[in-house]
Amino acid sequence: MTKDQSARRASVLLAEDEPELAEEIEAELLRRGYQVEVSEAREAALQAARAGRGSILILDRMLHGEDGLTIVEVLRKEGIRIPVLVISALSSIDQRIQGLKAGGDDYLVKPFAMEELAARVEALLRRLDDVRTTMLRVGSLEMDLVDRTVRRNGREIDLLPREFKLLEYFVRHPNQIVTRAMLLEDVWNYTFLPQTNVVDVHISNLRRKLDGRGEPPLIANVRGVGFTLHADA
Amino acid sequence: MRTPDLIRSTPFRLSLALALAIVLATASVFALVYLELSTSDVARLRVVLVGEAAIGVGENEDQLRRALELRLTRDLRRLDYVALFDKDGRLAFGNITKLPEIPVDGEAHFVAGARQTDAEGTDEPALFVASRRADGGVLLLGRSLIEVYAIRDIVLRALLTGLVPTTLLSLAIGAFFAWRASLRLALVHETIEKIMRGDLDARLPVGGADDDIGKVTRAVNLMLDELVRLLNQLKSAGDNIAHDLRTPLAVMRAKLERGLAQDSTNEDLRLAAVDSLGQLDRAMATVTALMRISAIENGLRASAFREIDLASICVDLFDFYEPLARSKSIEMSFDAPAAAPMRGDAELMREAIANLIDNAIKFTPSGGTVRLEVDKGPGPPIVRVTDSGPGVAPGDRDKIFRRFYRGANEKETAGQGIGLSIAKTIAGLHGLELTVEDSRFGASFRLAKAGLAATA
Repeated sequence: MTKDQSARRASVLLAEDEPELAEEIEAELLRRGYQVEVSEAREAALQAARAGRGSILILDRMLHGEDGLTIVEVLRKEGIRIPVLVISALSSIDQRIQGLKAGGDDYLVKPFAMEELAARVEALLRRLDDVRTTMLRVGSLEMDLVDRTVRRNGREIDLLPREFKLLEYFVRHPNQIVTRAMLLEDVWNYTFLPQTNVVDVHISNLRRKLDGRGEPPLIANVRGVGFTLHADA
Repeated sequence: MRTPDLIRSTPFRLSLALALAIVLATASVFALVYLELSTSDVARLRVVLVGEAAIGVGENEDQLRRALELRLTRDLRRLDYVALFDKDGRLAFGNITKLPEIPVDGEAHFVAGARQTDAEGTDEPALFVASRRADGGVLLLGRSLIEVYAIRDIVLRALLTGLVPTTLLSLAIGAFFAWRASLRLALVHETIEKIMRGDLDARLPVGGADDDIGKVTRAVNLMLDELVRLLNQLKSAGDNIAHDLRTPLAVMRAKLERGLAQDSTNEDLRLAAVDSLGQLDRAMATVTALMRISAIENGLRASAFREIDLASICVDLFDFYEPLARSKSIEMSFDAPAAAPMRGDAELMREAIANLIDNAIKFTPSGGTVRLEVDKGPGPPIVRVTDSGPGVAPGDRDKIFRRFYRGANEKETAGQGIGLSIAKTIAGLHGLELTVEDSRFGASFRLAKAGLAATA
C-alpha cells in the first residue's frame, strides 16, 4: 500500500513543554517511522506549522502556562488545515468540547498509553477526506452506504444498524489500529470508558457475521491496544 | 461588648437614626400646633375688634359711652382698652392716656407696648383699632395680647418638655435592641472565630426567631454541614486513593527490583517490565478516574444544562449493553415511556446510567436478569437499574458510593469500583439522588429527585 507508506514517512510536529514526555513521544514516533520535530514553545510550533513542515500537529494544551488551543485557532484562521491532536491534562467533557471547537481534530487526555497516541495519529493522518463516498471497498468487503448493505466475497451480510456503523468505522480505517476509546468516541459518541468488555462483545458479534466458513478473520485483536481490520483478508 | 463597639454596631446606628426621625417628626408636629394656636387666637381678636369698632363709630355719643363703660366694668381681667378722643385729640373717655401711633383707619394694628392708665407693671403687647367718628373724634378699641402670649408660652414649654422624654425613650429602646442584636452577633462572631480556629463541629446559635439573622445563621450552618461532609469525603477519598495507588506502586517496585537483581536474566527483566506496565496501567486508570470525578464536580457546574430525553438516552444504552448481557447469558430488559424529558447534561447522564448498567451486568451471575426502567416521576424522570446479583448488604449501602469502595467479596471482580461514585456525583450535580434498595432478587439502583420516597 503506497498510501500506507506515505503515512509512515509523514513528519509529526510535537508541541510539548515537558522535556521528558516530549522525548518519550518523539522516541515512540521515530520507532514507528515518523519524522518528528519538537517545539517547546507556542511561537516555534506556530512557525513550524505555518512553514508546512509537518503532516500533523500534536499539541499540548498547556505550553508554559499558555493555552495551546490559541495555536489551533490561529492556524485555522489562516486557513492551515493540518490535523491537530490535542493532548491535555484537563479531562472534563467541557475541556474536550472546547478543544474540538477550537479546531482540534482529536483530544487525548494524559496519562495515555503510547499505543493510543500512535493509533490516533495514524487515524488522523489517513482520515478519508471525502466523507461523501457512497461505496466503500476494502479487500473482499463492500459496503454500500446508501442501501446500507454489506457484501463479503459477493455474499450479502445482514447487519444491525449499530453493527453497520461499527463496521463502517473499521472500513474507513483499514490496516490501522483502532482503540476501544476511539470506537467509543467515534461510533457511539460516548466519552466514558466502561469497566466491562462491552466493546469487545460488539466486535466479536460483528466478527461472527463477517467471517464466513474458510475465510480469514477480517478484524483482528491487537493485544492490549485494540483492533485492526486487515484489508487483505 | 465594649461601648465603642456598641456605637459602631449597625443596630445601634439604625436605632440612632430611628430616634432622630422620631424627634424630627414630633418636633414638626409641635411646631404646627404652636403656629396654629398663636395665629388663630390673634386672628380671631382682630376680627372681633374691627367689627366692634365699626359698630361703635356709628352710634351716638351717649350710647357709645354707656357701651364703653359697660365694657370696662365687665372686663374683670383688665385686658380691654377703651378710649374716645375728641376732634382735637384730647381724651374724652377711656383707660388709656394717648392714642397709640397707629393709622386711624378702622383696621386692627399690633402695638408692642401699651399700658392702661392706672395699670402697674410693664407695657404689654396689644391689638388696637382706631376709627374716626362722624364728629371728628376717634374711637379706640384694644385688647392686650398678654394672655394669648402666655398660653402660647405654656404650650411651647409643654411641647418642649414632651420632646425630651420622647427622644430619650426612643434612644433607650434603640440602644436596647441594638444591644440585644449585638449580643447575638457577638455570639455568632465568637462561633465563627472558633470555627476558623479549626473547630468545624461548632455551629452558629440559631434560637427560635425566624427573622433575617435566624435565616442567615441557619443557611450558614447548612453550608458548614456540607463543607464538613465534603471534607470528610475528601479525606476518605484521599485515604482510598493513597491505598489504591500505593498497592500497584509497591508491586511495581518489587518486580523491578527483582528484575534488576544480580542473578536475573534479560528475560526476567523483560517480564518484570511487562508486569510493571500492567501495574502502572492500574495506577493510571485510578488517576484518570479521579480526575474524571473532580472534573465533573468542579468544571461542569459552568456548562449549561439543556432539555434532554432520558428515554432516548436509555434506548441507546440498552442497545449498547444488551449484547454484553447476552454474551454472559443475562437477560436484559428495558421499559420506558416514549419520552422522559428533564433538564441536564446528556453526556453526563448517559455516563451515570451506563455506570449503573455496567455495574449491574458485572455483578449478575450468568442466567440472571438486568432490568432498565424509566418512569415519569413527579419532577425529573426516575431511572431504575435492577439486577439479580447478590445484592448489597445493608451495612454497605452508603459505602458503595464512596470513591473506590468495593464490597467485601468483590476483590476478584474487575473494575476500579469507581463507577458508582461517578454516577452519584453526576446525580448530585443534577439535583438527583442515587440510592440502592433490595429488590426481590438482587440490588436495585434508583436515580430520582433527591428526597423522593423510595416507593415512588
